[in-house]
Amino acid sequence: MNTTPSKIISNQMSLTPRWTETVSMAFRSIVKVKGGLLGAVFISIMLLCALCAQWISPHDPDAQNILQRFAGPGFAHLFGTDYLGRDIFSRIIYGCRIAVLVAFGSVTLSSVVGVFLGVIAGYNEGKKFDYFIIWLFDIVRSFPQIILALAIVAVLGPSLVNVVVALAFTAFPFYGRIARAQTLSVKEADYVKAAEAMGQKPLTIISKHITPNIMAPVIVCLGMDMATMVIWESGLSFLGLGVRPPTASWGIMLRNGYKYIQVSPWMILWPALAIAFAMIAFSLFSEGLRVALDPKERNR
Amino acid sequence: MKKEDPLLEVSKLTLDYHLGARQMRALDRISFQLEKGEIMGVAGESGCGKSTLGLAIIKLLPKIANIRRGEILFKGRDLLKISENEMNQKIRGQKISMIFQNPQNALNPVFTIEKQMTDILRVQEKYKNREPRSSRYFREQAIERLKSTGIADPQARLSNYPFEFSGGMKQRVMIGMALSSGTSLLLADEATTALDVTIEAQINRLIADLAAEYGTSVLYISHNLGVLAELADRIMIMYAGRIFEMGATADLFDSPYHPYSAALLESLPSQQTRGKRLLSIPGFVPPLDQLPKGCSFHPRCPFAEDICKKEVPPLEQVTSGHFSACFLDRKRGRQKWQWI
Amino acid sequence: MLKYILKRVLWVIPTLIGVLIILFSLTYMLPGDPASAMLGPRATPELVEELNSRLHLDENMPVRLGYYLLGIAKGDLGTSVWSGYKVSSLISSALPHTALLAVCSLGISAVIGVFLGAFGAIRQNSPISRIVTIVSLLGVAVPDFVAALLLMLLFCVKFPILPAIGAGTEGGIGDIALHLILPATALGIGWVGYLSRLTRESMVDVLEADYIRTAKAFAIPQRSIAYVYALKNAIIPTITVIGLGVGKLLGGAVFVEIIFSRPGLGKLIVDAVYARDFPVVQGGILVATVLFVLANLLADISYGFVNPQIQYD
Repeated sequence: MNTTPSKIISNQMSLTPRWTETVSMAFRSIVKVKGGLLGAVFISIMLLCALCAQWISPHDPDAQNILQRFAGPGFAHLFGTDYLGRDIFSRIIYGCRIAVLVAFGSVTLSSVVGVFLGVIAGYNEGKKFDYFIIWLFDIVRSFPQIILALAIVAVLGPSLVNVVVALAFTAFPFYGRIARAQTLSVKEADYVKAAEAMGQKPLTIISKHITPNIMAPVIVCLGMDMATMVIWESGLSFLGLGVRPPTASWGIMLRNGYKYIQVSPWMILWPALAIAFAMIAFSLFSEGLRVALDPKERNR
Repeated sequence: MKKEDPLLEVSKLTLDYHLGARQMRALDRISFQLEKGEIMGVAGESGCGKSTLGLAIIKLLPKIANIRRGEILFKGRDLLKISENEMNQKIRGQKISMIFQNPQNALNPVFTIEKQMTDILRVQEKYKNREPRSSRYFREQAIERLKSTGIADPQARLSNYPFEFSGGMKQRVMIGMALSSGTSLLLADEATTALDVTIEAQINRLIADLAAEYGTSVLYISHNLGVLAELADRIMIMYAGRIFEMGATADLFDSPYHPYSAALLESLPSQQTRGKRLLSIPGFVPPLDQLPKGCSFHPRCPFAEDICKKEVPPLEQVTSGHFSACFLDRKRGRQKWQWI
Repeated sequence: MLKYILKRVLWVIPTLIGVLIILFSLTYMLPGDPASAMLGPRATPELVEELNSRLHLDENMPVRLGYYLLGIAKGDLGTSVWSGYKVSSLISSALPHTALLAVCSLGISAVIGVFLGAFGAIRQNSPISRIVTIVSLLGVAVPDFVAALLLMLLFCVKFPILPAIGAGTEGGIGDIALHLILPATALGIGWVGYLSRLTRESMVDVLEADYIRTAKAFAIPQRSIAYVYALKNAIIPTITVIGLGVGKLLGGAVFVEIIFSRPGLGKLIVDAVYARDFPVVQGGILVATVLFVLANLLADISYGFVNPQIQYD
């Protein structure tokens, strides 16, 4: 009855700041939580490219065409061609395979070894074995990581498997230290004490009660490490110490691009963009993981 | 004989917090006066707006706070109309000081006590536009301040970091920073809550003694009525952002008008309650954005009548100097509330 | 404090011994006969034998390890298989280039990063806060060697205004500085992003701390609260990261030096890897590692000074 137009307007006016606030809050939560979602979507795209490379890519990544060298982006070749006339778009797609393989492979290997050693060391805190493991971790951590990886690949010879092994070797102490520190705190928890009092074997306690409860920070670390591994794989390949040519790897493509930097910018730009895409994907995802797994962040 | 103007006169102070789209009334028409040299205790369960009141007076409210109306007259001037600059130059730390609840975090962990104390003394000197003094002068001032709070061997303790002090010692340092002969008003926000009972008594004694010595008025915020009974001249009981009852300590303890005050007193251990069960008030303080209609205490009040659910009881004087905000108190007079 | 420093310093010794053992076993693990592996397929038997006895490769492992450690103890890092130069002299001529690059890029990016981060925290939602977000995104998305390639593409090929190769040692200080711009930017941009974000995050937390409220209650001016009271607390996590950063920086220098043909330690190592010149590889990595260990030591000790409350464990 008394809802005159002016009254409605004044009601809406008083609502306005709340609306913008709601919108900005929603936007912030999208960036915070949905950012992780976006990262997951990006990673899925990479996985899809890696798994279905032969169906997605329009050309054979290794097919050379001397007449079509250094072509710019166009209809025939979406991203152009390289110094041998190979289709850059197809090579980028196939490059996903190497990136994903190395990222998941080396991170899995290093985290499994690192967590295993770290938990056992933490459980045997203060014993000789613990000191030995700490020493081992500290030695490996003393090397600048990529230089150690480079030396290992130089000794073992460049190949996909060797790159994975070398990168995993440089990274396992970081997981080990996280796992050890977490174990030290978890081991004092009541449920572990109770299990010990009930006479459960150390192996059971470690696998059933400790390991599941230390995984949150390890998982957060996994996400961030994958990005690093992608960088280092392309770095090693760029130096010619990673995956063997003619395999399509973003690092090898950069290496060729560097050789022909005077001739064609596209040979550098596309793989650089691909790496940037992967970096953003993995870091958004790991940031989302961190927020999701951190109770302090969740309440913000 | 003309009565002296009160040192602090808060009237109808109303304040909202904005949290996203939620808006809550943290202080609702708070009015009271504080005389020179008087110690006023502010009591209530957590979340009732006690700390907000203190922060509002020294104007350190978080950004989400929004003062709707009211005024805070300090020596006749409205603090709400004073610029931030003038607040810093003339009021904060000099005329009005505040000490906080958690002494563990109230001192900066990466600086020595000397640095933190002399910094404060130095800015105050600067604000007063005095001649620059030597660092030795400030150091000696700091030692004096520490000595006045009963810290042993102040010269040596100056070079310590906060983590080298116990909680009680840290609070002594805070008091040393906050109280000097020029301080007119001390806001103590749960200053001893985090401390052991014996230390708590010592620190409260110290605050009372220094306040008496310097003629400082104190707004002593605490959820512990037992502490306030020993310390305060008058007591203000707050609930969900409103004043429920206010009166001289002995008067209020002797015969509270408001059922909430009565309940708080019943929940205190004392000689009379010896061997009996202590009262615990059923329910909890409602979140500020979900206050019930009418008297905000009515859902927890066994004496509530129909009017309590519909209208907000105003704060009114019941006897001289004794205020209460309840529809039922006047009807009952000085009859006791039978909570148990 | 002193006890903590001493313990920390002493722990370096067993760690470095371990490092030496790993470096030694790396060459030991070389597949096949190391001498012919180093000399390549065209090696004559005489050459192989000569190299074997020169490097004590014909002895068994413990003896070789003994020779290796003895040499290191005497400060002898061996001799380059190819050039015949002392490894130590090769390194000492390469190291200044890397050191200059590392100090410049880390130093400048630390200063810029910390101040950007502090600004961004004090003025949230300001343009500077947005710059922090963009730079840190850029730093995440573009790793240092990709940044180096893109910078080279932009400033040496498209707009040839900066020198592409070398360290400019012939041209005096101005030329050296000119040759430093691109490599240092490539190495530093990621750090500016990372450090500014880190500082902003911890600064935002610190600004809400109780002791900041205390400082406000005592009328400490806004500016000293931000840049003295808060920043010293907020910078603590940054300092540990900078220590670790030296390792990443030395790693990144490998790529940047290769790309810009700077005759530094990284290029020395990689070129030696290409040439299978293992004494040089070993020596180079050893020096890089020792530098990294020292940087971490320094970071830990300075951490102790910034944070008086450090755990002495």
